[in-house]
Amino acid sequence: MTIVDLTSMAKPEEKQQDRVNVIVKALNEDVPGDCYQCGKCTSGCEAFILLELEPHKVMALSKSGFIDELLNSKVLWTCVTCMKCKERCPQNLAPVDVIFALKNVAVASGKQIHTGYSNMLQAVLGTGYIQKPKEVVGRENDTATRDGLGLPPLPQPKDMQKLQQALMKAATETLR
Amino acid sequence: MTRIGLYLGCLIPTEQYAYEMAIREVLPDFGMELVDVEGVACCGAPLRHINLSLTMYLSARNIALFEKDDLDMLAPCPYCHQAVSETKHVLDGNPELRKNVNAHLKEEGLTYRGTLRHYHLLDLLHDIVGVDRIKEKAKVSLEGLNIAAHYGCHLIRPNDIPRPDDSENPQKMETLLEAIGAKSDYYNEKLDCCGAHILLNESESALTKTGQKLQAVQKHGFSGLATMCPWGHRMFDSKQDSAAQTVGGSLDVPVIYYIQLLGLAMGKDPASLGMNLNRSPVDRLMAPREGV
Repeated sequence: MTIVDLTSMAKPEEKQQDRVNVIVKALNEDVPGDCYQCGKCTSGCEAFILLELEPHKVMALSKSGFIDELLNSKVLWTCVTCMKCKERCPQNLAPVDVIFALKNVAVASGKQIHTGYSNMLQAVLGTGYIQKPKEVVGRENDTATRDGLGLPPLPQPKDMQKLQQALMKAATETLR
Repeated sequence: MTRIGLYLGCLIPTEQYAYEMAIREVLPDFGMELVDVEGVACCGAPLRHINLSLTMYLSARNIALFEKDDLDMLAPCPYCHQAVSETKHVLDGNPELRKNVNAHLKEEGLTYRGTLRHYHLLDLLHDIVGVDRIKEKAKVSLEGLNIAAHYGCHLIRPNDIPRPDDSENPQKMETLLEAIGAKSDYYNEKLDCCGAHILLNESESALTKTGQKLQAVQKHGFSGLATMCPWGHRMFDSKQDSAAQTVGGSLDVPVIYYIQLLGLAMGKDPASLGMNLNRSPVDRLMAPREGV
């Protein structure tokens, strides 16, 4: 990711920028317009050193509407969601929420995402949870299961099909 | 007995069994009757990467189920707790959004009212149970132990939606550790992230973060690391060996849920606290510690 786009002849992608802003505003957060590039977010970013995530650049590109490059970049998916950027922004902006919104827009526009994320979605649509109860191994290599430990059964949604339908509707109709 | 609804989310009831066992074992001693609420599902936080509306729907749905039964919620997972806090923050301040979410909830016969009170273990123990009652119950001295605190990012940030402790200088966990006779020194890496969030797609970087924090805890000479988050616990405890390989060092840090340590201090049978399920060398925290 670079800020080269800012000096090129690229045109802002206004439609996608609007979509990002709708999602950010739904969280009662301000859109990136007020970012003055102080870099405080990046200085505390937990994903900066290892993964080169620079939230202030994400803010700059989002603010100007040059987000196509971001949507295609893997860097959005390196955010560890520690929320330090949101906590520390002197303008009360929320880079982490902008990054989440960009990911949502990337998914909605059909960009390929890591199968781990789509698997979690499938699991929730199928069972209500991101995974089924597992057999685990303790430090003496003894195995244990939920039942075996005498824990009560996992609560289940009453009507999985209804939950599925409601989720599908919620996904497309909640934020308009 | 105070009735409180237990909302475990996904990770605790599908693999972090020790956390659940210790909660169910310890809290009744403080007059809490834990109620399992029927029909709940994922809190939606893991789906926030894909679509924020899914997160809000699932959290609003769980909240509605608790409100229907007129129960307060204990959400011992910071990730779930934050999803509930944020959903409440958003829906209570945005009538239009609330209307939209309720329109979908209606298909499942549910309504979000916004009356729920919810807690994490941190504020439940510190603010509701209270340090004095914890001191009273702690019979076995943990003197000589110096335990590092790991809060979990989602438990303390962001501060603009109410969180159970301060975002930059949380202290409740240290207070709770001191209440059971342990020491808990400050260390510079206290607020560092465990890396769990990117384990799916950037596993090496995730494990590097885990390893670096554990190396710091080890270097400072702590006796162990206490957690209150199933995601962080999974990284520091279950994945400690992989983290050691990733950072190329040897790691040997006992990692224990705070509630397990509280149970030990209360003289509970380690098996009832799921102590055999911790992968890290927690025996050191349990063995008689005379002369330490």
